[in-house]
Amino acid sequence: MIAILVIPIVTAIICYNIWNPRVVGYVSLAGVVALVIAAFPVITASFAGPVSALNEAFSMDALSGYVMSLVIFLSLASAIYSISYLDHEFEAGLTNPRGVRTYYGLLHLFIFTMLLVTMANNLAIMWIGIEATTIVSALLIGLGFHKRPLAIEAAWKYIILCTVGITFALLGTFIAYYASTAVMGTEGALNWTVLRGVAYKLNPATMKLAFIFVLVGYGTKAGLAPVHNWLPDAHSQAPSPISALLSGILLNTAFYGIMRFVSIVQPSTGSAFTGNLLIIFGLISVGISSIFILVQDNYKRLLAYSSIEHMGIISLGVGFGGPVGIYGALLHILNHALSKPLMFFASGKIQARFGSTNIANVRGVLASMPLLGTLTFIGALSLSGTPPFNIFVSEFTVLKAGVDRGLWFAVALFLVFVVIVFYGVLSGFGKMLFGSPDESTMAPSAHHPQGLNLGRVLANGVMILMAASIVMLGFKVPAIIDTTIKACVLVLGVK
Amino acid sequence: MKNWIEAFSVIDYISIGILLTAVTLNAFKSIESYVKAYTINSWLLAGLIAVVAVLVGETHLYIAALLTLATKGILIPLFLRRIVRRMRVTHEIQPYIGNSLSLAISGILVAVVYASLKDGIFVTGFSRNALQISIAVILISLFIMITRKKALTLVIGLLFMENGLFLAGFSLTFGMPTMIELGMLFDMLMGVIILGIFAVQIKRAFASADLDQLTVLKG
Repeated sequence: MIAILVIPIVTAIICYNIWNPRVVGYVSLAGVVALVIAAFPVITASFAGPVSALNEAFSMDALSGYVMSLVIFLSLASAIYSISYLDHEFEAGLTNPRGVRTYYGLLHLFIFTMLLVTMANNLAIMWIGIEATTIVSALLIGLGFHKRPLAIEAAWKYIILCTVGITFALLGTFIAYYASTAVMGTEGALNWTVLRGVAYKLNPATMKLAFIFVLVGYGTKAGLAPVHNWLPDAHSQAPSPISALLSGILLNTAFYGIMRFVSIVQPSTGSAFTGNLLIIFGLISVGISSIFILVQDNYKRLLAYSSIEHMGIISLGVGFGGPVGIYGALLHILNHALSKPLMFFASGKIQARFGSTNIANVRGVLASMPLLGTLTFIGALSLSGTPPFNIFVSEFTVLKAGVDRGLWFAVALFLVFVVIVFYGVLSGFGKMLFGSPDESTMAPSAHHPQGLNLGRVLANGVMILMAASIVMLGFKVPAIIDTTIKACVLVLGVK
Repeated sequence: MKNWIEAFSVIDYISIGILLTAVTLNAFKSIESYVKAYTINSWLLAGLIAVVAVLVGETHLYIAALLTLATKGILIPLFLRRIVRRMRVTHEIQPYIGNSLSLAISGILVAVVYASLKDGIFVTGFSRNALQISIAVILISLFIMITRKKALTLVIGLLFMENGLFLAGFSLTFGMPTMIELGMLFDMLMGVIILGIFAVQIKRAFASADLDQLTVLKG
C-alpha cells in the first residue's frame, strides 16, 4: 500500500532529472503504469473490506478505493495526453526543456498529493493532503511553463482563496478533535475508523460548528458557489491536461473530505442539518453557474462553470441523502470525471488549432477535424445532460432522491437551472462545432504537423476510450461499478 | 515555576500580546513593520506554547513550541525580509480605508467576538481568553487582507490568520500530535514560499505589486 505513495514521488524525481523533452513524457507514462499495477490489488481488496497500513495511519475502504481508482485513471489519461500536448507546446516554442521537466515533476507530485488524500485515515492528514494539492497545482497553473501574466493572476487568486478557505477547514478539524476529546478522554482521536464508532456520542452543537467550518473550507476547494471565484480563472488558464485533472478529480477529492465529515456529523445531529446546508450550497452553485454558462464567450471558462454546476449536483445528491441520493452523487462523480476531462482534452486541441479560446473565433470543428469534432460533440451532449448519455442517468437519480424526499421547491429550482445549462452548453459548443471553418482564423500550419506520431495516436486513443465509456454508461451501469458504489453508500453509513 | 506562571497570569498577558500585535497592523504604513509585527506575534505564540508545556509537562508541547519558533519565528520572517528586499517595493501600504477607521473597525471586531463568545461554548483547557483572542486575531487578519492592496500584505494577513488558528487549536485541544503538527507547518512553509515567488512574478509581470492590476480575469 505504501508503494502507491512512493511510486509517484520517485517518478517525479526521475522526470525532473531528464533533460530530453521527448523522452520525459514516456518516462512519466511508465511511472503511471507502474502506479496502476501497484494500486490494482490494493483497490480491489479495499472494495471487499478495509485495508490499512502503517499502524492505521492509512486506511482504505470502498469509498477511498473508488475515489482513488478515479484519481489513477485520470492520472493515466492526463499522462498520455500530456505527451502530445507538450510536444505541440515545445514545437510551437511556448516552452523549453526546463519547462517540460518541471511540468512532469510537478504533475507526479500533484498525483501523489491526491493519492494521499484518498488514503489518509486521519482527518488532519487528509487536511494536509488537500492543502498540499493546492500548493502543487498552483505551481502547475502559474509556473509550469506558461510565463503569461494571466496565468500568474489565476494562480495567485487560486492559492490565496483556497488557502484561506482551507484554513477554515482546519479550524473545523480542530473543533471536531475537541469534540472527540470530550468523548474519549485525553486521548482524542481524528482517525476516521475510530470517530465513526463514537460518532453518535459526540456533542451535536460542537459538531454542527465543526461542519460549518469544514463545509465552507473544503467547499471553497470543491468549487461550490458562492466561494467558487478562483475556479473559472484557474481552470481556464491552466494547461489543458492539468485543467482536466483539476476539474475531473481535484474538486472531487475536496468533496470527498466533506462526505467523510457528513458521515461523522450526521449520527449526532441528524441528517436534516447537513442535508439542508448541502442542498442550499448545491442550488446556489447550479444557479450561479447556469447564468454564467449562458453568457460565456470563452469555451474553457464555460467548461469551468460547468464544473461548478456538476459539483452543485453532487452536493445536492449528498444533501437529498438516502441510498438513492448518495448513489446518484457517487455515480455523478464518475460520469463527470469522464466527460469533463474529455472536453478539456478536446479544447486543448481546438485551442492549438485555432489559437484562441474565444467561442466566436472557432468555427466548423466538425468539418475541419472530424474525429475531434465527434468526440467534442459526444462530450458536449453528455455535459449538457442529454439522454441517453451518462450524466443524464446520474442527474436523474439525484432528482429522484429529491422527489422521494418530497423537496418539491428544491427539485423545481434544480430543473429550471439544468434546463438553462442544457441550452447554454449546447449553444456554446454548437457554434464551435458546426459551420464551415474559416482558414484565416486558424493558427499557422507549421505549428500543427499532420503526420502520425505515437504521442498523438495515444492521445486520440484515450479520448476515444473515454467517449466510448460515456456512451456505454448512458445505457447501463456495469455490475462492477454498481456493486462498488453500493459498497461506498454502506461505508458512508446510509441505509 | 508553575505557581509563578499562575500567580502572574502569564498566559493571559501573552495572549493579549498576540492580539495587540495583530491590532497594530492597522496602524503600520510599511511592509517592514508588518514583517516585524509578524515576527513578534510568532515569538509570542511559541512562548505561549512553551508556557503551557511547563504547566502541563508534556514533551510533545515542548517540541511544538520549538517547531513554531523555528518555522514561524525564524524561517518565514527571514524569507519575507528577503522577498521585500528583492521586490524593492515602495514599502508604502496604501489601504483602501484610512488607518484610524481601520483601527476602530478592528476594535469593534474584538468586541463582537467577546460578546458572542461570552458564555463560552467551549470549556477551554488553560485560559478563559485564549479562544476569544484567537478568533479575534483571525477576523482582524481577514479584515487586513481585504483592505490592503499590496500582494505581500495579503501573505502576511494569511500568516497572522494561521497564527490565530494555531492559538485556537491550542486553546481547544492542547495541540495536535507532533507528526501532524509537523505536516501542517511544512505545508504552511511551502505555501508561503510559493506565495512569495508569485508575488515577485506579479511585480515582474505587471510592473507593480498592487493587486489592483489583477482585474483581467472575471465573469
